Amino acid sequence: MPTPAPPATGLNRRSFLRTSAVITTGLAALAASLKPLLELEDFPTMERFLQKYYKEMTPDEMAKVLTRIENEVEKQYDKRPHVRDLKPLDGVEFVYALNLTRCIGCRKCVHACVAENNQSRTPEIQYIRVLRLPHGSLDLEKAEHNYSPEKVPEKGFFYMPVQCQQCKNPPCVKVCPVHATWQETDGITVIDYDWCIGCRYCEAACPYWARRFNFTKPQIPKERLNPNMSYLGNRPRRQGVMEKCHFCIQRTRDGKYPACLEICPVGARKFGNILDPNSEVSYILRTKRVFIQLKEEMGTSPRFFYYFDV
Amino acid sequence: MSLNAKKSSALIALSLVFLVLAAAFVTSSSNGKPARDAIPLVNTNFLSTATVRQSYGELVRLKADLSDFDCYACHEKGKPPVIRFDTNQFIIIPKEHGNILMGHGSHNRNNNCFNCHNELNLEQFQSRDGRELKFSESTQLCGSCHGPTYRDWEGGAHGRTGGYWNDASKTTRRNCVECHNPHAPKFPGRQPAPGPHSLRAVPPAAETHLAH
Repeated sequence: MPTPAPPATGLNRRSFLRTSAVITTGLAALAASLKPLLELEDFPTMERFLQKYYKEMTPDEMAKVLTRIENEVEKQYDKRPHVRDLKPLDGVEFVYALNLTRCIGCRKCVHACVAENNQSRTPEIQYIRVLRLPHGSLDLEKAEHNYSPEKVPEKGFFYMPVQCQQCKNPPCVKVCPVHATWQETDGITVIDYDWCIGCRYCEAACPYWARRFNFTKPQIPKERLNPNMSYLGNRPRRQGVMEKCHFCIQRTRDGKYPACLEICPVGARKFGNILDPNSEVSYILRTKRVFIQLKEEMGTSPRFFYYFDV
Repeated sequence: MSLNAKKSSALIALSLVFLVLAAAFVTSSSNGKPARDAIPLVNTNFLSTATVRQSYGELVRLKADLSDFDCYACHEKGKPPVIRFDTNQFIIIPKEHGNILMGHGSHNRNNNCFNCHNELNLEQFQSRDGRELKFSESTQLCGSCHGPTYRDWEGGAHGRTGGYWNDASKTTRRNCVECHNPHAPKFPGRQPAPGPHSLRAVPPAAETHLAH
């Protein structure tokens, strides 16, 4: 009996088994090697992916976005926040004044800010940096922010807290390639965290080191989350976006003082509407010895003024 | 080498690559995140907005214990207390008032209770311009000497404020004595809140230059 001719395809039992074993192993290995994709957190939902630019959103669309954010925050932190989109008030331009004679460098403002604005605790993101400078100099090269004595103030030093200066001519806004940061009519420079692409150009452009980047996923303990939030303000940020001081937009556009001012134990911090001639800041700029704006030569024209007593 | 053999060897090589990758991911533990110690949370004492002291008016409002202000529980009416001085002309604080720290003004300048308290009516103050003031009007007493500071306080440049910036009726203004101890008004030093950690959470650099 003649042996059957081998099939024209060249497929026999041996090659079939070998090929299928190789393919099965290969597919299994491929699946295993893609495992890190499964651990990808914060994968954008379609809703977030298709969200419009802040300035182009209608009130209805904004309401939907605010609900989405509330849901996301509640899912992550087991606490229902109240997220608002507060608009600038008419006839208001915010100005901050800080009394360098009074500041004792206790850093309470730094931590009040972190608590109010839901900054990441690990890694640590802080909007305010308190500089210690030797008396008789404003040379920032001599500034030290890692001071840790038993007691402050220390003899021979004064303290200068630096945060976002809310410039009239903000370099950070100019460099943003996607217009994710802009200046509002009340003088606050804001960031749309959902529009930011994390290129960090603004961080490089800022002469005051006021902008912070979320290099990793921000971590906030659930019990320390502040549920009073605003879209452009203190809602929790994602990894890969910029953030900075926004004069506590969720408080100040509601008529309240910023958190750093409320906590200052020496009353060195003053805030208000410069367009109101009877406001505290108007009184200060009119009557006190107001020091040049910080790094005046940069031409940024900050809305943050340092002043002295006497 | 036949075409089939080439195909198989390529497939085997690819499978090996994927196997190695899979092994690498499995052995490098499931949490692909770098180990980072959590930065300790700041003590909530540093987050308190309370003032260090309470003024008389505030104590009245809170219905707190006011027995400290009941001078004539011990003193006799119409009989001014006698103040005694030691050989260096320092005032001798009687032990009943042992909690009072005399530190108002440098160089022993303000070494007499009756610069501010009224010796004829201990439950009142007397200002340098001869006004008799109640305990609740202490800001005016302070202002009778510290004119420029009082002016700045009225204007809003000195002292603590809180509440609402856009509604004067809802703004809290703190009195002098809610922050300053009237007997020793200079602020005592206080412990600073922790300084910044770097992204990698290494402890802050030791004190370096700048020491005078």
